[in-house]
Amino acid sequence: MRTFLFQGLVGLSEAMYLWMVAAGLSLIFGVLRVLNFAHGSLYMLGAYLTFYFFGLLGHNFWLGLAIGPVFVAGIGLLMERFFLRWVYRLEVAYQLLLTFAFVLIFNDLVKLIWGPIYQASPMPPGLDSSLSILGQAYPLYNLFIILVGPLIALGLWFLLEKTRWGRLIVASASDREMASALGVNVPRLYTGVFMLGAWLAALGGALSIPIRPVSPGMGEIIIIEAFIVAVIGGLGSLKGAFIGAILIGLLHVYGVFYIPVFEMALAFILMAVVLILRPWGLFGTREV
Amino acid sequence: MGSKEVGRRDFLKYGISLVGTGVLGSQLVYPLDPVYAQTEKKGKIKDPIRIGAQATLSGPFGGYGQFMKMGAQLAVDEINSSGGILGSKVEIEFRDEELKPDVAAKNARYFVDDWGADFLTGLDASSSALGVGAIMGELDRVLIVTHGATEKLTENLVYKQGIKQIFRISVPVYQDGIAAAIVAKDFPAKRWVTIGADYEYGHTAWNFFKATLKKLRPDVEFVEEAWAKFLTSDFGAHITKVMAANPDGIYSTQWAGEAVTLIKQAKLFGVFDKIQTWMTPMGAAMDVLEGLGKEYPEKAWVTCRYWFQYPDTPENKAFVDRFYKRWNKYPHYVSETTYSAIYAIKAAVEKAGTVSTPEIIKALEGMTLMTPAGKRYIRPEDHQAVYQVPWGRITHNPEYPFPTLTDLKVIPAEEYFRKPPFVEA
Repeated sequence: MRTFLFQGLVGLSEAMYLWMVAAGLSLIFGVLRVLNFAHGSLYMLGAYLTFYFFGLLGHNFWLGLAIGPVFVAGIGLLMERFFLRWVYRLEVAYQLLLTFAFVLIFNDLVKLIWGPIYQASPMPPGLDSSLSILGQAYPLYNLFIILVGPLIALGLWFLLEKTRWGRLIVASASDREMASALGVNVPRLYTGVFMLGAWLAALGGALSIPIRPVSPGMGEIIIIEAFIVAVIGGLGSLKGAFIGAILIGLLHVYGVFYIPVFEMALAFILMAVVLILRPWGLFGTREV
Repeated sequence: MGSKEVGRRDFLKYGISLVGTGVLGSQLVYPLDPVYAQTEKKGKIKDPIRIGAQATLSGPFGGYGQFMKMGAQLAVDEINSSGGILGSKVEIEFRDEELKPDVAAKNARYFVDDWGADFLTGLDASSSALGVGAIMGELDRVLIVTHGATEKLTENLVYKQGIKQIFRISVPVYQDGIAAAIVAKDFPAKRWVTIGADYEYGHTAWNFFKATLKKLRPDVEFVEEAWAKFLTSDFGAHITKVMAANPDGIYSTQWAGEAVTLIKQAKLFGVFDKIQTWMTPMGAAMDVLEGLGKEYPEKAWVTCRYWFQYPDTPENKAFVDRFYKRWNKYPHYVSETTYSAIYAIKAAVEKAGTVSTPEIIKALEGMTLMTPAGKRYIRPEDHQAVYQVPWGRITHNPEYPFPTLTDLKVIPAEEYFRKPPFVEA
């Protein structure tokens, strides 16, 4: 039982990275109706830029964390303003082509700038120890990640529910024409939402560098999982992305533990089951 | 759209492509004189002699590819600046095998069919080595594997199936599994677990380790296994799983960047406070030593396929010095194995006086080579180079910018290399 609970804690910390990527993916789809295949690449860029600023600014992890994701939000601004804006009204296939092109470009870009090999960064001081939970050593950093995830969820909830900007987002997501007619600057709002999604993914990447290797292609694995999470939770639903990420995170650790041979397939099976029973996802809204 | 028009278009299309392939093709694809013209010139056998190399060049395993390139480049430059092979220059090109057997096989076909390779070398992943090995009979060039370690390459493909084009210059998984068990038999550890690389190499190494250790120490138990696919970035689940079984010893087959990630995470989970011994066969690879640095626990027992401080011979010292002078780094094991593979090619071509595959195979079988790693004898039965590499324990030595090995355990190759006819372990 103790081991079972401890495994759950391990799964929760993995789930939070998924949540940060899936949150932006789902938010961008919910508002802009764009399936951003390059979202994993923004996670990767977040990791690389944070690593870069970490090295540049006297190996201060927190400074890197403050600057890296903001930089990626700026990249998001350029992506949305000059590229994505032209495909909103086109078929999904065009969106996928365009965003997939970004995946390739970003991958080669990091190889050009930082080389093809992985980078490893040290733990931020103060978080590099472990504490005893359930009779076993548990890394303090993982605990920190488990706290950060819900904080982000709270922040997003506050932003969307309690601020004027958030209400405008919700309004234009449900009726773009009406919002436009009422004088909302919808294009600018869209740019803002895309930047927020990019910042979230980049934050996930930035927070991953002390325990995961930073390498080209690191975004390609997480985008698949984040996509599964978003589909399970319901595309466009942040609550769904949060719950979905925790489900997949737990499924992964218990899969490794109890059904190792099958572990890879579990997430896909869960997605298939959800799609059959509730095609709009656990918390998604049914398209009328 | 009249038929005439189509006809004209077709005429143009085919005409242009014919002219293109006929006139330009010969210039573009083979900008050099064809082989038969070469033989008349100055008696050279073929100029240049081309070697197609493959390694993993990017991502968490990319450190290997970089080090392999350094070793290869050093050998090629040394050979070319001292008159080449029988007067012919050596050319080498690298491609990324991406740890995928299908990509590796595609690269091999490109090298032989389009690029005009006379020899193939490299290959990091066992699965990639098998993927390329399976088509070597058809491609009919000599392949010298410099890293991929599965025993199936030499025992099955060469010895049992008779694909004579395959050779391996690096120690096989006997080093990782059998030699590891011979070292582990002297440890007090009784309860062993594995955190394994979930592909050919990880499984085969663990099986050899278990079978050999059980024979030498009937009292040991193997109590848990956790398998991780390539590109796993969180080992928390695997670490927790094996630790739940209360092990004394952990045997782990992760390598390159994955070994670095795993060991870092295992430290955070307090693994090294609880266990007696950690064994990682590929843990003495230079990129892992550099990647972990001071964080490398001294409980870790490691080996590789060549350790730069062994053997203590003038040849090895000179090689390490030359390598350091050229790259400002100490050689990784794949640097040495690839360096030695290119010298093996040189020796074989000089002995055979030709690059024709059957002659090269004859020249390599039974050859003894002096290399930085010591004397290598290429067994004629399975084309496996026989030499030994020590196991050792991690220590932090102020003389080097990375951890090195102490308590070296040198087991003679005869004691841990499986021999033909390769009955089951």
